[in-house]
Amino acid sequence: MQNEIIFTILALITIVSSIVMISAHRPIDSALSFIVTLVSIAALFALVNATFLFVVQIIIYAGAILSLILFIIMFLNIKDSNLPDEKHKNRWLMGTSIIVAPFSYILIDLIMRSDIAVNGVASENFGTIKDVGLTLFSKWILPFELVSILLLVALVGSVTLSKKED
Amino acid sequence: MLKAYMVLSIILFSIGVVGLISRRNIIVMYMSVELLLNAVNLSLIAISADLADSSAQVISLVIIAIAASEAALFMSLFVVLFRNRASLDANLFDMLGSKK
Repeated sequence: MQNEIIFTILALITIVSSIVMISAHRPIDSALSFIVTLVSIAALFALVNATFLFVVQIIIYAGAILSLILFIIMFLNIKDSNLPDEKHKNRWLMGTSIIVAPFSYILIDLIMRSDIAVNGVASENFGTIKDVGLTLFSKWILPFELVSILLLVALVGSVTLSKKED
Repeated sequence: MLKAYMVLSIILFSIGVVGLISRRNIIVMYMSVELLLNAVNLSLIAISADLADSSAQVISLVIIAIAASEAALFMSLFVVLFRNRASLDANLFDMLGSKK
């Protein structure tokens, strides 16, 4: 019962802050409300005992990626004249919501009709660093190595892209 | 509880799709993509907690790593595009598609 109340509050915070994120005019406002979305999603992770992913979400998403976005926004020194003048922004948002709503309604209806709630009994150390790490380094070793190559390519690519042309 | 997580994940995914389609500010479009990835992560974590299997947590860890590398590439793209066009309008960034 207590979990349902916490889930409802966190879900409302997540939905409201993500709507603010896509509808704010200035990018700094949407970045700040996106931090609220990410932190409450991390709290939703912690609600189902995924403690390691909770820590990773806080450190990498809300810590590293969002501070990178805020750093870039402040580094570029964006003025109002640099922003696109979205005169029909609200009309676009309403129209796209009307288009997307039936698809999400179909998906939600599908979820509500199905009997997916298995509710397996979670063991004591579920979601801890040891559990996730053992799975990562035994069953998922190849994707782990591929991710390291991907990070190297992203590093080289971002250095090459932002180099000044001569 | 799993159904509630899935429904919340679908709602967040739809909000991300709406933001990605209807906005022209490229930073907001990037953050909508991140919101899509987070919605997928949320449903993966709920499934992994429900099945008591930690493979889905590893998948979402890989997704977070992919999002981090995507962030690095997007940020350098923002710097290059802003240096060339002095704007954040996604409609102006058509250097690949058209001749000057």
